[in-house]
Amino acid sequence: MMKIKSILIANRGEIAIRISQTAKKMGIKTYGIKTSKEPNAFYLKHLDGVIDFCDNLDDIPEFLDVERIVNIAKDYKIDAIHPGYGFLAESPYFAQRCDEEGIIFIGPSAEAIYKMGNKTIAKQIAKKHKVPLLEGSQGNLKNPEEAHLIADKIGYPVILKAAAGGGGRGMRIIEKASQIEKNFKLATTEAEKAFNDPSVFIEKYVSNPRHIEFQIIGDKKGNFIHLGERECSVQRKHQKLLEESPSPALDETLREKMGAAAVRIAKATKYYSAGTVEFLLDDSKNFYFMEMNTRIQVEHPVTEMVTGLDLLELQIQIAEGKPLSIKQKDVKLNGWAIEYRINAEDVQGGFSPYLGIIEKLQYPRSKNIRIDSGISESSVVTPYYDSMLAKLIVHGETREKAISNSVNALNKFWIQGIKTTIPFCKAVLSNKKFKDGDFNTSFIEKEMDKLFYQGNDDEMLAAYLATFDFAAALETDKTTLIDFEKGKNISPWVLNKRLRSL
Amino acid sequence: MKLTRKKIEEAEYIAVSSQDKRYKIRNPFSEDLKINGKKTEIKIFDDENGFTYILYKRKKYLAEILERSQNKYTVLINGVSYVFTIETPISYKRKKYLDKTKSKSTHEMVQAPMPGKIVDILVDAGTDVKEGEALLILEAMKMQNEISSPVTGKVTNIVVRKNDVVNKEDVLVELEKK
Repeated sequence: MMKIKSILIANRGEIAIRISQTAKKMGIKTYGIKTSKEPNAFYLKHLDGVIDFCDNLDDIPEFLDVERIVNIAKDYKIDAIHPGYGFLAESPYFAQRCDEEGIIFIGPSAEAIYKMGNKTIAKQIAKKHKVPLLEGSQGNLKNPEEAHLIADKIGYPVILKAAAGGGGRGMRIIEKASQIEKNFKLATTEAEKAFNDPSVFIEKYVSNPRHIEFQIIGDKKGNFIHLGERECSVQRKHQKLLEESPSPALDETLREKMGAAAVRIAKATKYYSAGTVEFLLDDSKNFYFMEMNTRIQVEHPVTEMVTGLDLLELQIQIAEGKPLSIKQKDVKLNGWAIEYRINAEDVQGGFSPYLGIIEKLQYPRSKNIRIDSGISESSVVTPYYDSMLAKLIVHGETREKAISNSVNALNKFWIQGIKTTIPFCKAVLSNKKFKDGDFNTSFIEKEMDKLFYQGNDDEMLAAYLATFDFAAALETDKTTLIDFEKGKNISPWVLNKRLRSL
Repeated sequence: MKLTRKKIEEAEYIAVSSQDKRYKIRNPFSEDLKINGKKTEIKIFDDENGFTYILYKRKKYLAEILERSQNKYTVLINGVSYVFTIETPISYKRKKYLDKTKSKSTHEMVQAPMPGKIVDILVDAGTDVKEGEALLILEAMKMQNEISSPVTGKVTNIVVRKNDVVNKEDVLVELEKK
């Protein structure tokens, strides 16, 4: 067992801050990486030591530069590295390089990452341990002809997936035989680009399933538990937008059954650290193993809120070699938690990334709210990283209460300067099917007639604001020359106040 | 010219939305504000943190002018954006006249919906395409996005080349509508 005294956080944004907060609580010194892409980023202010990678000129992006990260950790005599999510979090090679250099990798073993990261191997493990699976190819596909053969056998629709995939990349749904050729090409190119591995496999496509995942945690002594599920069915193009725990679709019996299956998979790979086992749940409440994510996930706070546990703390303790301090029977799900991803995206423009500067920022405040944010006022939203700015997590004693608390929280979450997904989150909360807990992965596409929340008078107020400013600017041009000469910039509102006092 | 209070307060404007919805706004600065002929009470405030909000029927609305160029505005109300062009009665008359005389164009331009890189071009100049048919593949945030034709017609010009990096709203392909 070794006490970790310092951690290098090989990540940015909200997760870098999240890791630093737990580290600080545990008395651990934190180091982070500064890049030329966002040299004034908010996360840098939360670290004890900032290591400058601004001179990076080669093609390897800073947070993917295995050798440089490992070498810096050695130079600074840092005990451990936390990869966060994304970037190198699921690179078995990175975990292995840390091992070789005597640096503690805060996460599972390189072997577990490799096995579970490869969907084909992961499925073989699941099958061996009697975890239900969807019909499909036994391994990776060699060519489109093989895809044809299997699809004909199991029946359409089928789905092509990248073996090394995740996050919806390299996934293609195929409705009929004629679409195989084109989609096979697209999926392999996308897989190659995203994961450096063009292999794809095929399986039966379940239309409109729920996406349910189980948080599992294991230690290096062979103890494994699950911390309940997360409902992640509100997705757009396989990108999660809000998550909750528990799921309205599960009862205690099903939870136990799925949780036990998730734990079997963890045991089979001697998995230690935090991990997530993803399942599809169909209309008849049959569940199928999808994949395992061998990292801390974006949506981990909903689990933390209902269990009262600090997953980062557990990850660090396990990395130190400590045994799990809790048993399965100690895990209780208390109330309901929902997480909203606040992304810099133009919802009305098809959720396209929206770049800009956070001019003003104001958070809702309440004891049932948690905000994991990577931004502050004057933060720049750059095109270099993903569009997530912050996560709003809201708790309630019941799902109904969590929803009403969420409405209040979102109404008070104010951002000025860019477009965000807040109006989308509000639209979800006003949807009856969502409120009833009756939804699946087709929810956004099928049940939401409007992707953003809009009040009856909003457009009229917008028309008034624009007209007011236009008229004020027009009059300012004509009447306030003198003020401009003095170098004063008069805002229309000031002008308005003056006009009223005329 | 020095404007008197009377002149400012009697002004009339027409806000035309991108969906061509019109709001006739009279006396925007005065107590006698009328929107589409109806007397309306709206107040605009700046709070202590610098946020602008609108107070209407005792409800608070977060309000922001996101972009403005001449008389074209993009406004956010509670995070939702609206695009308006603001006209005076004279400019509005002129605009209506111009709209009427403008001939219906068959020229279509396909623009990039997001910044990214062109990884594949699936059509050539002269290709006949159907509405919804894929024209090219744009890679953005590591996703391969199919850009499809908004109309049925003929490709007249491909503006970009493979591996080009494009910005949002860059023209990618030009088409002639059928």
